[in-house]
Amino acid sequence: MRFMQHSPQPLFEHAADQPIALRSGCAITANTFLHHALALASELPERHYGINLCEDRYHFLIGFAAILLKGQTNLLPPSHSAKTIQSIAQRYDDCYCLLDHDFSELHLPQHRFSVPEVTAADVLAQDVPAHDIPRIPYQHIACIPFTSGSTGTPNPNPKTWGRLLKVTKLIQHAFAIANDQPLTIVATVPPQHMYGLETSILLPLVSGSCMYSGRPFYPEDVRQALGSIDGAKILITTPIHLRACVQAGLSFPAVDFIISATAPLPVELAEQAEQAFSSKVLEIYGCTEFGSLANRRTAAGDPWRLFDGLWLSEDQAGGDFLVNADFLDAPVALSDQIEILPRQRFRLLGRKTDMINIAGKRASMADLNLKLLAIPGIKDGVIFYPEEKADTVTRVAAFVVAPELTPQQILQELKQHFDAAFLPRPIFQVSELPREKSGKLPRKNLLTLWKQMSQQPIQPLKQSTAD
Amino acid sequence: MHKLSPQELEIAQLIITTLGLEDIQASDIDPQEPLFNEGLGLDSIDALELALAISKKYGFQLRSDDDKNAQIFSSLRALSEHIENNRS
Repeated sequence: MRFMQHSPQPLFEHAADQPIALRSGCAITANTFLHHALALASELPERHYGINLCEDRYHFLIGFAAILLKGQTNLLPPSHSAKTIQSIAQRYDDCYCLLDHDFSELHLPQHRFSVPEVTAADVLAQDVPAHDIPRIPYQHIACIPFTSGSTGTPNPNPKTWGRLLKVTKLIQHAFAIANDQPLTIVATVPPQHMYGLETSILLPLVSGSCMYSGRPFYPEDVRQALGSIDGAKILITTPIHLRACVQAGLSFPAVDFIISATAPLPVELAEQAEQAFSSKVLEIYGCTEFGSLANRRTAAGDPWRLFDGLWLSEDQAGGDFLVNADFLDAPVALSDQIEILPRQRFRLLGRKTDMINIAGKRASMADLNLKLLAIPGIKDGVIFYPEEKADTVTRVAAFVVAPELTPQQILQELKQHFDAAFLPRPIFQVSELPREKSGKLPRKNLLTLWKQMSQQPIQPLKQSTAD
Repeated sequence: MHKLSPQELEIAQLIITTLGLEDIQASDIDPQEPLFNEGLGLDSIDALELALAISKKYGFQLRSDDDKNAQIFSSLRALSEHIENNRS
């Protein structure tokens, strides 16, 4: 039987007295963590799925582990909007929400928990009974992260515990993180997304390192978080946070290295960030369907290096590029065009579908446009992705022929269907779209019109018919 | 049309120019409506962009562990008051 080939795997690799989390300035040992996780597991509802919505990273870790210990599966929604969570709960009706904060708008079964503040005195007292490290079945579906569908229907990506560990060990190896060296991992990204889960939850478990429980958001938060940590530390973040940090002009404590993912990191920004943090900035390439699969030092202009043990192939029938590993049941298709180079190297040549990625959220342009054109009162219209600017996040913009509607009314309609990241801005009212005689709407025509309109002084708004 | 104080007007303009909301005017923003999700449909990327613009213009850094953080961005009026109390 297949599952017999894979033995159960330990929940973590720490020694009992090794720190696993740093919370409010206090190091929490692996044994204390396990004590918290077992206590929570014993009080969880008897259901199959726990939607883990914990905001504090240590609470998320306890929740993640407790759900596994109870033999359940973590559901990890792409956003924390009540609507998204409810749409997931509809498909997994044997579920409850695991929370460490109030969420009264959420009309679903909730299990709210709190962990007593651990103080330095508690740690010294060592009054927690010693526990053996539990093992989780290799084939257990540990979690289901969802990719954010622009349509509001998130797509599930079930992950077994064994596969999560395999990919995390590839990350550990690629970044040369040793199990016997103390390291604290600080992350600005949420643990509910694949990148944040792998780097800020699973990497500490697998490498015996320590996670910082907070989620620094503003540059000043990042500065203070890093300043509060003695010894080796790495920062897990995104191009958006790095840009904010670089532009804030603060003086940041040095870190061992920085990992960036979710969106392409411009070389210039990578160089600036390396200066600001006096460290290397390494970029991860991956996707929710597989997880992290390659890295590179962006400022050095390196091509991507596929993690050892993986290989790329091209699906001759569909033209997809596939990532392969001996632990996968089937290769995973990537949504990028790739040039495969020798010695595990490759280059990304751009998206091959109409998918766009804004701050790690993906949407199909065709789908966004269908939603736009479905709004009553829009006679013609297009949502498009303007040329990227180096110093800011590029959003989609729209041209609409809708003489009876104001841009705000259109926005209100789109908000019902889109994640905020894909709301077009600005929405330009035009008398007609720059179509060719054939009716085609070439991108160069859109960009020309867009340049003209964005250089003009702001047009006075048409009065809403409702006024 | 909403009536904004001079300070609210200044911050509304900052929001519009920082976040590329050129299709609205400052007076379209209801000073008591939420800026995020519901109201203007802003998201966390915007919060970072706005924090940066605020630090450049008013000379102080926003912090997310500030208990009042959710309240600060709850409306244009709340943001305006927070800036007034913290600007250097």
